[in-house]
Amino acid sequence: MEKYEKLLNMLMDFNDSIRFAAVCNTNGDIVWTTQREGMKNIVPLDETKQTIVRAINTWAQNSNLKGYVGSGLYSIASYEKIKRITVPLDDGNILFISVNNSSTKNSKTTSYGQIADMGKILSIVDFVKS
Amino acid sequence: MSRYEKLLNMLMDFDGSIEFAAISNTTGEILWNSTRSDLKIKVPLSETKKILKRESGDWIDRCKSEERLGLGRSLYHITSFEKIKHVTIPVDAFHLLYIAVNNEPMTKTKKKSYGRLVEMGKILSILDFVNTFQ
Repeated sequence: MEKYEKLLNMLMDFNDSIRFAAVCNTNGDIVWTTQREGMKNIVPLDETKQTIVRAINTWAQNSNLKGYVGSGLYSIASYEKIKRITVPLDDGNILFISVNNSSTKNSKTTSYGQIADMGKILSIVDFVKS
Repeated sequence: MSRYEKLLNMLMDFDGSIEFAAISNTTGEILWNSTRSDLKIKVPLSETKKILKRESGDWIDRCKSEERLGLGRSLYHITSFEKIKHVTIPVDAFHLLYIAVNNEPMTKTKKKSYGRLVEMGKILSILDFVNTFQ
């Protein structure tokens, strides 16, 4: 199994709140993708592709900051219903993940969504890279 | 004191890991800013201005997406680097909050660390609190 396919499978197994995951190349083409069964896409794939292309450009610009702040780890755009996460991979490839962010039902105070367990997501990425 | 200055002061008081905070307008121009006095800023102001210009454009796209795609309100955007996290949050229709938060791992971490958790819930609740006085 190709390593990025393995990465997507591991991510989907690890966290039920991940709805959709994809690996894209430097041109923004989706090379691997996976979607949780029974879940309908909130965002049409065309829109997701545009988001990914923007993310690739942004990560390229962020590389100018490396000397000041170290390597880029991830970015999260959080909306009430979902979080959209990008993680730079090797060779300029990008991991894109869409995570459920609806508040938990038993929340008593105002909820701003769920925590994306980025430590675990990044440890899976590192494991697959290794 | 304007509510924006109050917001910056409250954020700096709340969390010692916030190194720099600023309010910009929709074109990314910094209107108010606050720097922790005992810290040297990691990212030069000229680079921060570039980031804010880019982020303000991205936020216009995000706000359009939230309506068009039904994603709900856009809450915040975090870009995490090894040493710092950049956080942007829309304050209202005309202003953006930018925060640079220390992300260097705690010294006593035994396993590999990917940085520190930013308490977005508390930061957003401070913002909501200040917005109630507009």
